[in-house]
Amino acid sequence: MTSSIKLIAACALIVLACIGALSFWSEVRNDKDREWVRHTYLVVGKLQTVRIDITQTETGERGFMLTGQDRYLKMYGAGVDQVRQDMTELRDLTSDNAGQQEAIQRLNPLITARLAEVGDGIQVRKRSGVLAGVEAVTRENNGERWMGQIAAQIDEMRQTEAQLLSRRLETAAASTRKIKVVIVCGNALAILILLLAGFVIHRETSRRNRAEQNLKHVNERLERRTADLSETNIELESFAYSVAHDLRAPLRHIAGYSNVLVQDYGPHLDEEGLRYLGKIGDGAQVMGRLVDDLLSLSKIGRQQLALQKTPLDSILRQVVEDFAPECSGREVEWRIGALSSADCDPALMKQVFANLVSNALKYTRKREHAVIQVGQTKQNNERIIFVRDNGVGFDMQYVGKLFGVFQRLHKARDFEGTGVGLAIVQRIIRKHGGRIWAEAKLDQGATFFFTIGSPENKTSKEPEFPVVFPVIFPVTEEEMHVARS
Amino acid sequence: MSHEVEILLVEDSPEDAELTIRTLRRNKLANAVQIAEDGAEALDFLFCRGSHKERTFSHPPKLVLLDLKLPKVDGLEVLRAIRADVRTKAIPVVILTSSKEQKDLIKGYNLGVSAYVQKPVDFEQFSEAIRQIGMFWMVINQAPPAEAFVANKAQGA
Repeated sequence: MTSSIKLIAACALIVLACIGALSFWSEVRNDKDREWVRHTYLVVGKLQTVRIDITQTETGERGFMLTGQDRYLKMYGAGVDQVRQDMTELRDLTSDNAGQQEAIQRLNPLITARLAEVGDGIQVRKRSGVLAGVEAVTRENNGERWMGQIAAQIDEMRQTEAQLLSRRLETAAASTRKIKVVIVCGNALAILILLLAGFVIHRETSRRNRAEQNLKHVNERLERRTADLSETNIELESFAYSVAHDLRAPLRHIAGYSNVLVQDYGPHLDEEGLRYLGKIGDGAQVMGRLVDDLLSLSKIGRQQLALQKTPLDSILRQVVEDFAPECSGREVEWRIGALSSADCDPALMKQVFANLVSNALKYTRKREHAVIQVGQTKQNNERIIFVRDNGVGFDMQYVGKLFGVFQRLHKARDFEGTGVGLAIVQRIIRKHGGRIWAEAKLDQGATFFFTIGSPENKTSKEPEFPVVFPVIFPVTEEEMHVARS
Repeated sequence: MSHEVEILLVEDSPEDAELTIRTLRRNKLANAVQIAEDGAEALDFLFCRGSHKERTFSHPPKLVLLDLKLPKVDGLEVLRAIRADVRTKAIPVVILTSSKEQKDLIKGYNLGVSAYVQKPVDFEQFSEAIRQIGMFWMVINQAPPAEAFVANKAQGA
């Protein structure tokens, strides 16, 4: 939806730019048009001046004729100069107009002739006096003829200019009108676009606000529920912790007093009595281990992950070394593949490996040649770590119970244990946002797979029933058979 | 009292107290053990007040075995009081408890506990732990001299 706003903004920008350019261009045109109008007025004015100045030479001539005074002579002289200057200026002004230039070509000899005639009259007056002068001026009555022709020529030129003027005035007016139209239409268009943009933005904003409001509500509800849930979780964890903790004291007393009984009254008891006391002590010990395991399970639940880049290789090496005493007297073949490092809690990840390796060792105990393989593989761009053994395995029918607390798939008589180890492993893996699952066949070994997700990505829920991936490993079941036989 | 108390056992469970004392006795490690069943009684004893007002500070116990979960005043409060008073602060205190919760360990050590031991459920392990504690603090360790329980004059001035 933001794209429509962008489109409108782009349109508005383009329209405004066009209006600006058009206005500027029209303004320039208008200036030129008005300049031409002014120019026409100048030409018309100059034509007028030519006539006036010619009349001034005539006035000077007549004054001199009648009075012989020098000031009329000067007036005449100034008039002549003025006329020449006028003509030069007129030529310059109409340099753009060939028709007017031709008209000037026609006007020029007329004026020259008239001025020469006036000059002649003055010469006669100087030489032969008033009467001869007047006689020379009026003899052929040429003056009137010349002046008539001059006036006609000037009128023609004025006519031409008047036509030009009216055309140019019209052009100027038209361009002014055009500017007005451009400005008004452009502004109207810009306002329209702005209104449209405003409307679209308003609609978008209100829609977004509504969505945000909704999201906020949902988030708040979710946050409240998450807070409730984690509070309940913490309460449960601490309840489990304190129960387990409080159970330890009476257990200690049962174990302690049965022991004291043996120490102090052993001689008074028969063999059966001593066996019963031994059972009491053993029971207390088993329950003590259960309680301890339960405590460590609940501790993991409450613990914060201390994440760091952890070399899984060296962690696994430590674990295998730690189990060396348990391997003494047994034939155990370790097949350890390369493990890349991971972002995880090193202490907890060590416990994961320790529990899985401990399980592998436990359930291969009856094998003459135990093979324990640890390695990693990649599936769908996800690293999967596996721990595989050639031990007694289990029936896949019960795989759903595998990671449950206190759930055991073997008799305590065959394999000791509290049924908490794998629950702890699962809890640690889940806390890291990873998944764990297993694959096994009765009497043919078991393989545990797990991923270490990113802890932020906790949405990756483990499936209710672990999914079995068709993964091909270097050690096949046949190999395991071979190893066993 | 014919002889001075060597160990103060702060323990609310009579069974735990009995089993502890039995172990100490069998190892000939303590003839004079005083039991305090809650934190308040332990403080009365250590600070010679209440039912213990006839005691003097001149003979502090060589060791305090301190449980954490106690009625009235809990173990960590007792430890804080012991370490806060110059007349008692040098007494070795060993926490002997069911809990090995991280926060108890941190608090205990921050308050200056001498050692922290979790009571094992298994009786043989329990006995062995008590024997080793008794052996170390009663026999191997050098108890603080009397001068350790008076305020340093140079500092006090």
